[in-house]
Amino acid sequence: MTPVSPTELQPRMMKMIAELSIIKADLIRPEHRLREDLGMDSVSSLELISMLAEEFGLNITVEEASQVVTVDGALELARRHLTGPA
Amino acid sequence: MILILGAGGFLGINLFDAMKLEGLSPRCGRRRRSNVLALLQRKATLIEADLDVPATLADAMRGCRTVVHLAGHYPRLSTDPAGTLAAGLRQTRSVLEAAAQAGIERLVYVSSTATVASAPTDRASTEQHTFAQAPGFGAYHDLKWHMEHLVTSETRFQTVTLCPGACLGAHDWKMGTSAILWQLLKGHVPPHPEGVLSWVDAVDVGRAIVALITHPSPPSRVLLAAESLDFHGLLVRLAARYGIAHVPPALTAREAVTLADREEALATTERRRPAISREIVDLIVHGPRIDASLATSLFSLQYRSLEQTLSQFEDWARRMGASVPHWRTAS
Repeated sequence: MTPVSPTELQPRMMKMIAELSIIKADLIRPEHRLREDLGMDSVSSLELISMLAEEFGLNITVEEASQVVTVDGALELARRHLTGPA
Repeated sequence: MILILGAGGFLGINLFDAMKLEGLSPRCGRRRRSNVLALLQRKATLIEADLDVPATLADAMRGCRTVVHLAGHYPRLSTDPAGTLAAGLRQTRSVLEAAAQAGIERLVYVSSTATVASAPTDRASTEQHTFAQAPGFGAYHDLKWHMEHLVTSETRFQTVTLCPGACLGAHDWKMGTSAILWQLLKGHVPPHPEGVLSWVDAVDVGRAIVALITHPSPPSRVLLAAESLDFHGLLVRLAARYGIAHVPPALTAREAVTLADREEALATTERRRPAISREIVDLIVHGPRIDASLATSLFSLQYRSLEQTLSQFEDWARRMGASVPHWRTAS
C-alpha cells in the first residue's frame, strides 16, 4: 500500500487505467466511460477499482465498485474513501 | 496450510466463506491483476499465484499441504479451441508440477459436469460415468476433459476431483451461468436449446470442497448437482417468476449450435456478450441427468433449493445495482 494525497490520486489512477485499457494515460479524460470509451468490460472495471483499493489501502466494497461508470466516478469513489468512511 | 488457486473468483469467495465457517483460514492465491475486493473486505491473506507464472505458484504453495484448484482455464467463448486447449493444459501442468515440487499432499481440483458421460441406460449418471476420450462436443467439453484427465493421471500426490453442475449464486461478477439469470432480470428469455441443465448453489460447492479438504479418505471423484432440470421448463418457471410474458420455443440442437457460433463470432467483433454461448448450448444439449447422491451420503450435504438460491442471487444482484422489482420475486 502506498500513501497518497487526493491531488496525487488522479495521475496515478490514469496510469492504472492505461494498464487495463487500450488508451494511453495522457489521452484519458475524467468524463470517459470505462466501458464505452475505454474498451473495458465489467470484469476489468472491477479489476481497476480493486487495484485502486489495494494500491491506496481503501476499503471499497464490490457493490460500490459495480456502480462506477466513468473515470470521474472512480476518482470520486477513491477520494471519498481517502478522506474518510463513505 | 491450505492454498486456494482462484480465490478471488465466484467459487473462490464462496469457498473462503465456507472455510471460515469451519474455522479454516486459507492462503488466497490471486493473479496480480484481478478483482480481490471481496477478499480484501474479508481480510483474507492474499498471495500472487498466477498459473502463467510458475515461480509465483512455487512461492504460494510453499508450506502448504493442500491446494484447492479453482482456477482452471475457463474460456468465455469457444472461438479458439486449439488456443484454449493449449492454455488450459499448460496451466494445469504448471499447477501439478509446482504441487509436486512443494510436497503437496492433496490437490482438490474443481472440474465440471461437462466431463460426466451419459449412463448407458436411462439411469442418471454417477461418478463412474466418464468419457474414454475427449467427447468432441465443443471446445469447453474437450478442454475440461483434457484438464481433468491430466489431473487424475497424477501419481505424485493425491488428487480429488469435484464436478459441479452449473453454479448459481452470489459473487458471480464474471457472469458464468448467471448470465442467463441476468438476462431474465432484464426481461429477456435467452434463445436456448432443448436439453437438461444440472445446477448447484455455489454455497454448496464451497461446503463440498471443505468436506473434500478435511475428509480422511475422500473418493477420487465426486459429482455435485442439486437437480437436473429440463432447461426449457426451467426457463418457463423463471419467466413466470420475473413477469416475462413471452418464452421462445426451444431450438433444436443444430439450430442452437449454429446460433451460438454466430453469436460468438459477432460478440468477438462487436465486443459484447453473445445472446447464448456455445459452452452453455453444449452443456444443455449433451447434459446428462446427474445422480449426485454420493456427496449427500458422504458429506451429509443437503442441497439448497432453487428458491433459496434464486432469493440469494436476487439480493446480491440488487446490491450490485440490478433492477429486481419486488413484485417480480413475489411468486
